[in-house]
Amino acid sequence: MRRIVPLLTSVVFAGALAMSFQAKAASNKPILIGLDTPIQHQVGKDTVAAVKMAVEEINAKGGVLGRKLAYVVADEGVDPQLGVSAINKLTSDDHVNVLIGGYSSGVTLAEEPHIAQSKTIWIGVGSASPNITALVGKDYDKYKYIFRVNPLNSALQAAQIVDFAKNVVKDQLGRDKVAILGESAIWVRGLVPVLVKGLEANGMKVTYQQLFDESMNDFTPLFARVKDSGAKYLLVILSHANSDVFVKQLYEARLPMPYGGIDVKSMTPNFCSRVNGAAVGETTVNFITRAPITPKTIPFWDKFVKENGRAPVYTAPGAYNSVYLYAWAVEKAGTTDADPVIKQLEKADYLGVGGKIKFNKVHDDIDGPGYQNLLFVQWQKDCTRQVVWPKELATGKIMLPPWVK
Amino acid sequence: MLTVLIYGAVTSAILAMLAVGFTLIFGVARILNLAHGAFYALGAYCTYSLTATYKVPLIVAALASVALVALFGMAMERVLVRPQRQSSLAVLMITLMVALTVEQVLFVVFGSQSKNVPAFINFPVYLHGVSLDGQRLLALAVAVCLIGALWLFIQRTRLGSAILAISQDPEAAQYMGIPANRIFSLVMGLSAALAGAAGVIAGPFLSVRPTMDQTAMITAFSVVIVGGLGSIPGSILAALIIGYSETFVAFYLNPEWTGTVSLVAILLTLVLRPAGLMGRAVGA
Repeated sequence: MRRIVPLLTSVVFAGALAMSFQAKAASNKPILIGLDTPIQHQVGKDTVAAVKMAVEEINAKGGVLGRKLAYVVADEGVDPQLGVSAINKLTSDDHVNVLIGGYSSGVTLAEEPHIAQSKTIWIGVGSASPNITALVGKDYDKYKYIFRVNPLNSALQAAQIVDFAKNVVKDQLGRDKVAILGESAIWVRGLVPVLVKGLEANGMKVTYQQLFDESMNDFTPLFARVKDSGAKYLLVILSHANSDVFVKQLYEARLPMPYGGIDVKSMTPNFCSRVNGAAVGETTVNFITRAPITPKTIPFWDKFVKENGRAPVYTAPGAYNSVYLYAWAVEKAGTTDADPVIKQLEKADYLGVGGKIKFNKVHDDIDGPGYQNLLFVQWQKDCTRQVVWPKELATGKIMLPPWVK
Repeated sequence: MLTVLIYGAVTSAILAMLAVGFTLIFGVARILNLAHGAFYALGAYCTYSLTATYKVPLIVAALASVALVALFGMAMERVLVRPQRQSSLAVLMITLMVALTVEQVLFVVFGSQSKNVPAFINFPVYLHGVSLDGQRLLALAVAVCLIGALWLFIQRTRLGSAILAISQDPEAAQYMGIPANRIFSLVMGLSAALAGAAGVIAGPFLSVRPTMDQTAMITAFSVVIVGGLGSIPGSILAALIIGYSETFVAFYLNPEWTGTVSLVAILLTLVLRPAGLMGRAVGA
């Protein structure tokens, strides 16, 4: 017995020492961010580039809770099956602490049950369907891990587009008959009825509306119908569709009306030159531009351009904000455990690069004065971009496309 | 109405350019070439690359692209298809492999974003007060000229006679001293050049993406089934029927339904006339 007691003591001591080393090692492990994003697309490339920027900045200041940040990327493409595989890889194989990403709403909706099952916080930076965050309201305990910092959901976007249509299209351009063309995607199907209702409530008439398959590559028949409907303005809603071809064919058809709306590919800085200037006259919403929206906007923009040789698309500010927001919440919570971090995120009122970020009760970012809002940016002469709405941020006046009288 | 007639003609012309090459190589060499859509994609991407990256003048880039695609087709025939020609299944697999490889290479090199192939004509043409896209009209003219030239080449030249002889009876033609392998190689080059030219000429107004070969392949296949495998006049007739049907559906019904036109045409053909409009029935 006298021999057994010291032996047991030694074993217990050695075990405790090993556990303490293990705990120490775990606490020194980097906080791992998983990026689920379509890496072959500009939105995905910019998500990764912006996260890299934020991670490097935070690590240079000592990291979070004494731990460095690191990230790992999985391609979710624009395919739900690929998206689910990406989430499962990041959560089961890489054991990430948080997920940041998303682009296609259809993909995000397919991923959500898997995100919930993994009990990992997911911060959306690209997909716009209100259904994504509606799940948080329907089953909070299961889906409380879902947050969206960017973009504004499509219902909020619709309200801001209606505001633009009333103030700019109707009042400034004097055009009150509108046609709507959009791709047949989940978020667009939710957005169009809200748009129609809002436009009609503001004394405008919707003369024609048509959704088309994302793979369509000949839009000429649609333009003929828009023209025949008597419309004086064309509202477009394009994200995955082939905007390059859409804009070129619209230019070739010399559709006799100005046009604009949501055109994700037209948000890319080289879009206009890519289509040989055919986009001049198109107005598209954007979430960021090089303007002093907040004190962080221009430094972020300039650094992104310097490091990547291109201006950022809308997922970049979202991804950059997400890393800082998550780091802030972890610091406040004193842990990376999901539940305490969620509580902190719910309380956040964080000043990002595109405005303040605050979540509503279904974890969706809100709009309003000082918060993130849409900017209406028009391609003008020599493929330069001018903010034409809202008035307080405008850098130029809206113009008609060169062929429209 | 004039717009619909012109756009129908343009759609039919592009379909015919794709289908004639596809049916030609099948009629002569019995090669069901699943890489035919890849030729179309390569034509468009070569022109994009030469003009955007190497700043080659458009006309030179277009001609060089067609030549490069023709050489690619001939090389594919010589290196990959010819050793497997005894097995039609092996040929199917090898051409499918080429199609998938080309698509992946385009993805890796150019990314998924669509590319802008410059247009030869950047202004609208007004006919009876109707504005028509100049590039589309050019595409129509080029397609008519190329298919006409191919027809004359086959009907009026010694090489064309050799091609006809091989397509009618390969063994007898070889006994007469016609070099079958050289003819197959030439026909594959012509077929690839025609598809490549379709990519060059339609690229400016249609979508140039790595997956563009798939739609082209399906379209060519549909037209050839309806027209009759191996029949050039059949392909032209089927291209006109499908092209105009698609245009009418797009303009007067719903543009989303155009994809179903080919499927309905195939279904009707297989039920009512399995050999196609101008194809020879099996055993006939």
